[in-house]
Amino acid sequence: MNMKKRITEGIKNLCLSLVGFAVILLLWAFIVQYTDAGLLIPSPLGVAQRLIYVITHPIGKSYTLPMHLVISLRRVMTGYCLSIVAGVLLGVSMGRLEMIQAIFRPIFEIIRPIPGVAWIPMAIVWFGIGETAKVFIIFMGGFVNIVVNTFAGAQRVDEDLMNCARMLGANERQVFFRIVIPFCVPYIFSGLQVGLSTCWMAVLAAEMVAAKEGVGWIITAGQDIADMTQIFVGIIAIAVTGLALAAILRLAEQILCRWRVRGK
Amino acid sequence: MNEITSNKLVIECKDVSKAFFNREGDHPVVDNLSFSVYENEFVVLFGPGQCGKTTILNLITGLETVTTGRVTVNGEIVDGPSPKRGLVYQTTNLFMWYNVMKNVEFGPSVQGVPKKERRKRAQHYIDLVGLTGFEKTYPVKLSGGMQQRVGIARAYCNEPEIICMDEPFGHLDAQTRYLMEKEIERISGAEKRTVIFVTNNAEEAIYLADRIILLRNCPTSVKKEYCIDLPRPRDYTSAEFLALREEITNAMDKVI
Amino acid sequence: MNTYLKRKIKLKIISLISLCVFILLWYLATAILELVPSYSLPSPVKILNTFIEKLTIKSPEGATLPQHIWASAKVAAYGFLLGAVFGLPLGILMGWNTKVDKIIRPVFDFLKPIPPIALIPVMIVFFGIGTKSKAVVVFFSTIIPCIVNAYSGIKQTSQIHLWVSQTFGASRLQQLFTVALPSSLPMIFAGLRVAVGSSWMALVAAELLGATRGIGYMISTARNLLRSDIIIVGLLTLGVIGIFITLIFDLLEKLIVRGGK
Repeated sequence: MNMKKRITEGIKNLCLSLVGFAVILLLWAFIVQYTDAGLLIPSPLGVAQRLIYVITHPIGKSYTLPMHLVISLRRVMTGYCLSIVAGVLLGVSMGRLEMIQAIFRPIFEIIRPIPGVAWIPMAIVWFGIGETAKVFIIFMGGFVNIVVNTFAGAQRVDEDLMNCARMLGANERQVFFRIVIPFCVPYIFSGLQVGLSTCWMAVLAAEMVAAKEGVGWIITAGQDIADMTQIFVGIIAIAVTGLALAAILRLAEQILCRWRVRGK
Repeated sequence: MNEITSNKLVIECKDVSKAFFNREGDHPVVDNLSFSVYENEFVVLFGPGQCGKTTILNLITGLETVTTGRVTVNGEIVDGPSPKRGLVYQTTNLFMWYNVMKNVEFGPSVQGVPKKERRKRAQHYIDLVGLTGFEKTYPVKLSGGMQQRVGIARAYCNEPEIICMDEPFGHLDAQTRYLMEKEIERISGAEKRTVIFVTNNAEEAIYLADRIILLRNCPTSVKKEYCIDLPRPRDYTSAEFLALREEITNAMDKVI
Repeated sequence: MNTYLKRKIKLKIISLISLCVFILLWYLATAILELVPSYSLPSPVKILNTFIEKLTIKSPEGATLPQHIWASAKVAAYGFLLGAVFGLPLGILMGWNTKVDKIIRPVFDFLKPIPPIALIPVMIVFFGIGTKSKAVVVFFSTIIPCIVNAYSGIKQTSQIHLWVSQTFGASRLQQLFTVALPSSLPMIFAGLRVAVGSSWMALVAAELLGATRGIGYMISTARNLLRSDIIIVGLLTLGVIGIFITLIFDLLEKLIVRGGK
């Protein structure tokens, strides 16, 4: 009974979303046809056509859309994974070891408010306009958020839980890996989600400023040749990919944090 | 007269005092406390709220150290937590990311007991507390009473020399509490262990105890000891039960 | 107690020492040992000098540091306030009234996944590289988290509290103002903080891509001139401003949000 109700709920919501979506498309087409601003904006049909075209044909002298996506994704994943490793390490050690917190926190607090994209010029000076610069920028985008969230979790580990484990015979290493780390996992995931969206934005900005390929480049290239349709195609590709990445992460969280779900 | 099957001294608190220090000064919580617990006895520490019962348990399990005096378990001075002294908490403190089986077998698991053996052992205790079939469930899906059973199974599965229980049913509703009291009765009948049980509920104390140690208000020490030799399982409404209850409740210090 | 305080002081001293050691090593590596070229990583002394210089001198990018800060801050404040003024009531309305929710939802779901940074070129085409295009980008960056958090805040109003107010005869509107809004303030504040973060990031990105003033512009031009000292001054300025904003929010939150959950 419950499943059936949920499926009908889901279908109802989907229909509503599709109706809403259709309304937006109609509104868009209307603006294009009948208003001044519409002279600048491409029509939904035009964008859709170009979108399909670019999936198989190269954009200008470069790659096809999927190729660009792959390039951007590869950069993001590299920087993101690096930031996860470094971020979790620093966050957990700062949270559990007071000495480490005392040493690293001041420097971290100064770096923390600097937005990831602000590092772009510095990265270019240091690393040129190659891949390293972009990975660095992406890294900085995610690193800060992951550290902050992991640190919050590591600090909050219940002392009682750890004592309980010790009383059952666990040594410090076991307490760390079987109590502290699982406890922090939900917090780490919050950090991962924020980190993913900042990394994604960082890669866009980096590609818009200094790149010859990637979805961010598609937009700036469109701007350079005053091709609004291309810009829109780029925006749609970015939005959809961003959504897909977030959905995948949420799925991972649901699997790894099963133990938090209230079934009753 | 007593239900004690042997006279072996297991726990001894001798002239124990404990004070906590903070910015405002010393706070004595335990003052010259002495009592003994014998093998397989079910002893209940009973007293007014906030009198220091939990502190006494912490001293016995080693989570706190004495300021003066000495606590020994089986002749060994207590100076830190050890798997030989188990504890069941009021707030269960279950590991939420492990299912029931993994929680219960945690003790043997961290001490290196091979998988087959510890699974068998854990299963025995899961069956004992009446949770057969829930081995793969996560604690978040269990009711309060069931979670507490997991906590009890986990403590027992480690097969410690003594088991301490700190108001384990304090957070449960009245009906579940009665149910759990009967369960503890059954469990400690089936698996004989030396148990120290803390409560501030007189009925619970009289229902479960071989011996009740009545405590004073903070700073606490032993006010009186009662040997309960009513036949088991006990009847909450029998004349002797009610008489005892009145006697002990009257003897108890009023809560400040 | 005594040892507790002693330990806290010891840790604070270690923090201070670590900071000094960091600056010292930096100075050693750059000014004394010259491990890296100075255009890449200037010494802390040079950075300090540049900072003092930029307070009053307009070259090399055409404005002093305070002028840049003011330019960025103006745009940020403008876009942020507009975004909050529109976003918060909208989110509250969507959370409170299911009809409004159903109407606005599709528009919102359509716009939400678009990173504001991606919209920068569109805005530049529409409004040029002046302040208007950036303000619109900041507006978008702000409005989305405001709507999301205001919506969540209203949605998680305790049903029990609402029932209690109903038994006292509160109308729907009164319930909104006396129960739902106060209890969603913590979430709203969290949304505002997120909005500040993401709009600040969008603003800097926008200035990197096309501007004549602003901290992002300063950093970008400095890069072209290989003046790393100005870049670092810019980064540190961003850092300090960020800390400043966080402090203000903390203060506001303490004053306005009383007893949040």
